[in-house]
Amino acid sequence: MSRLIDIGLEQLASVVFRMGELAHKTVSLSLNGYIEGTNYYEEVHNLSDMLITMADEAEDKAFELIARFQPVASDLRILKSYMKITYDFARYGRYALDIAQIYSRLGGLKECEDWIKQSIRHMSEKVLSMVRTSVDSLKSHDTNLAEILSETEKQVDSMYFEYLDRLVEKAPATNRCTISSVLVVRYLERIADHATYIGESIIYLATGEKIILR
Amino acid sequence: MFSPYKFEIESLNAWFGSKHVLKNINMKIKEKAVTAVIGPSGCGKTTFIRCLNRMHEIVPGAKVSGRVLFNGMDIYNEDVDPVQIRRKMGMVFQKPNPFPMMSIYDNAAAGLKLNGIRDKEKLDSVVERSLKLAILWDEVKDDLNKSGASLSGGQQQRLCIARALAVEPEVMLMDEPCSALDPIATAKIETLIRMLAEDYTVVIVTHNMQQAARVSDFTAFLYLGELIEFGSTKEIFENPRSELTEKYITGEFG
Ligand SMILES: Nc1ncnc2c1ncn2[C@@H]1O[C@H](COP(=O)(O)OP(=O)(O)OP(=O)(O)O)[C@@H](O)[C@H]1O
Ligand SMILES: [Mg+2]
Repeated sequence: MSRLIDIGLEQLASVVFRMGELAHKTVSLSLNGYIEGTNYYEEVHNLSDMLITMADEAEDKAFELIARFQPVASDLRILKSYMKITYDFARYGRYALDIAQIYSRLGGLKECEDWIKQSIRHMSEKVLSMVRTSVDSLKSHDTNLAEILSETEKQVDSMYFEYLDRLVEKAPATNRCTISSVLVVRYLERIADHATYIGESIIYLATGEKIILR
Repeated sequence: MFSPYKFEIESLNAWFGSKHVLKNINMKIKEKAVTAVIGPSGCGKTTFIRCLNRMHEIVPGAKVSGRVLFNGMDIYNEDVDPVQIRRKMGMVFQKPNPFPMMSIYDNAAAGLKLNGIRDKEKLDSVVERSLKLAILWDEVKDDLNKSGASLSGGQQQRLCIARALAVEPEVMLMDEPCSALDPIATAKIETLIRMLAEDYTVVIVTHNMQQAARVSDFTAFLYLGELIEFGSTKEIFENPRSELTEKYITGEFG
């Protein structure tokens, strides 16, 4: 027999899953624009706004379910996790917007040296794959995927610091390219962090354990 | 010997005739805390609390085995007088049951009078104190001679709590004390339960999951006479270890 709360939980899950896909699309579009040299600022701005609206919608739904059903155990953990995850999705959107804004103000990688282009491209791929994994692990409540996020995040972190070190060493002069790329790797690093927060929420949701993946 | 536990229940079994209704219960109940007992109808909740004050054996054909240590002493020892035990534990039931022919005052004083106390001053002060403890005093202080039956359901239940408190028990055993009450009366009793836990050990049976979550420090989940899970209320309601507990408290069955 299905419970009354299940209908609400399904509605909420559907908002959260849609948000996940949209967040992935937003980050992907923004990074593509940055790397390939296309200004998607308007599109990314709209997508990012949509994510914020959906996060509010999900929060309202979650509060309504709490008020109506006083959920406990896994129901309660789902609500708590979904609220946190929608925030993380909204942050994906926000950082994607930041990157799009950097592109439209400072330009992208066109004038950069090849090693810079490669580093950013490589790091972007990693981070986008983390965003993908976080969305997938949410749908399947798969704690293994969540643990993979932790591994990849460590890689992203070392790429981030390696990049800064190399920049200081090889390109001491400040120019549009270095400023733009430094800000972008910083945002990438933040996105990766939020992907691991999502991993933590998935593990909590599935097992009740509060662990730190970072 | 100091123990933080009011009750230590060891291998407790109970029967009605050949019907085995409590199966090997092991559980420790903390002093000055609220312990909730939850579980589907017929799982043995009432029987369980009636084993804590030796009421179960009153039913013809009923039997108990195992140990119930109360303040470290087994209440089922041969030399223990069950009447003495019952006196130390106040009981409150699902339906408020004040003595209908008695006034509010006499209801509150009933236990003391039964114990032979006649001193008017003493009775007055105990009646006032217990009615205050039960958060009923302000509502009835001008009508103490009215019949107990003239009160609302929620007031009657608080009168029953006052009656139980008057004999200064160490434990309050409550069997679905709010199931006949409206939300406001229920909220009053719940506040009262929390206050009582500062001085008394409270064990409350409830069908209302949210009530257990609101008022208790520990929760025991009984199912078909077995103790399936026992732990801190926070843990049981946030992250139960047993699949059965999870199913019951989220309403997947029961
Ligand atoms: N006087 C009795 N004689 C025979 N069997 C009884 C008696 N009282 C209770 N039982 C049986 O013992 C089992 C436990 O009953 P108990 O009253 O302890 O359950 P409960 O958990 O309090 O249920 P409820 O939530 O409906 O009050 C049930 O199967 C019940 O049918
Ligand atoms: Mg009962």
